[in-house]
Amino acid sequence: MASSFDYPQAQEIKRIFAVRGIQYLFIGKSGAILLGFPDTTQDADLFVKKDPVNCAALVHGLKDLGFSLDAQLEEDLFRGKDFVQIRTGPFDLDVVFAPDGIETFDEAARRAVVVEGFPVCHLDDIIRSKEKADRVKDREALPRLKAFREWWISRQK
Amino acid sequence: MEKIQEEWVRDFEAAAHRPLAQRMRYAFIRTYKPVLDDAPFRSFPSMEDYRRWCEAALPSWLGYGRTL
Repeated sequence: MASSFDYPQAQEIKRIFAVRGIQYLFIGKSGAILLGFPDTTQDADLFVKKDPVNCAALVHGLKDLGFSLDAQLEEDLFRGKDFVQIRTGPFDLDVVFAPDGIETFDEAARRAVVVEGFPVCHLDDIIRSKEKADRVKDREALPRLKAFREWWISRQK
Repeated sequence: MEKIQEEWVRDFEAAAHRPLAQRMRYAFIRTYKPVLDDAPFRSFPSMEDYRRWCEAALPSWLGYGRTL
């Protein structure tokens, strides 16, 4: 079983993805946690730009991180399938190429926030994505996440 | 509700005083999730396909569906 995602692993993503030139953003609750949201989650969620060069670089970057990718998984990542869940690496990872509620990667990247060098979707995008997904666990998390958003925005001023 | 929100704000303030590495140590807790963790990988051509799979295949108590 993979270990819990931790800070050194996040730093490895940052380092390797920079070397490989991969365009990505942390998203979901893992992104909110990087922004300071005190809550718990299980895996890392990365929003990756769906672009042939970027997808190819992602395959190499994931291998550099220690993920074991078989031919089918590589193919799915190359093709940029909308959602890919990977359990063959040092931590659990969800790669999303088309998150609910976000039009394009470039728009989200323009609004993104950088925390200690980690590119993270803006909280408004994370909230919009969870509202659109509308799962039970999202509906449970949203009131506190929205309260955090108000507090977080007030601190930026 | 106001009391809950005050409590949340206290949590937010406290978290802001912790370094990111420590916040991550408290936040990422891996536990086994039946079905979801039973395959090395899964990929879906669309988010809607993924949502449908979650509804049909996962135990509802995991919270990945739209209803319990």
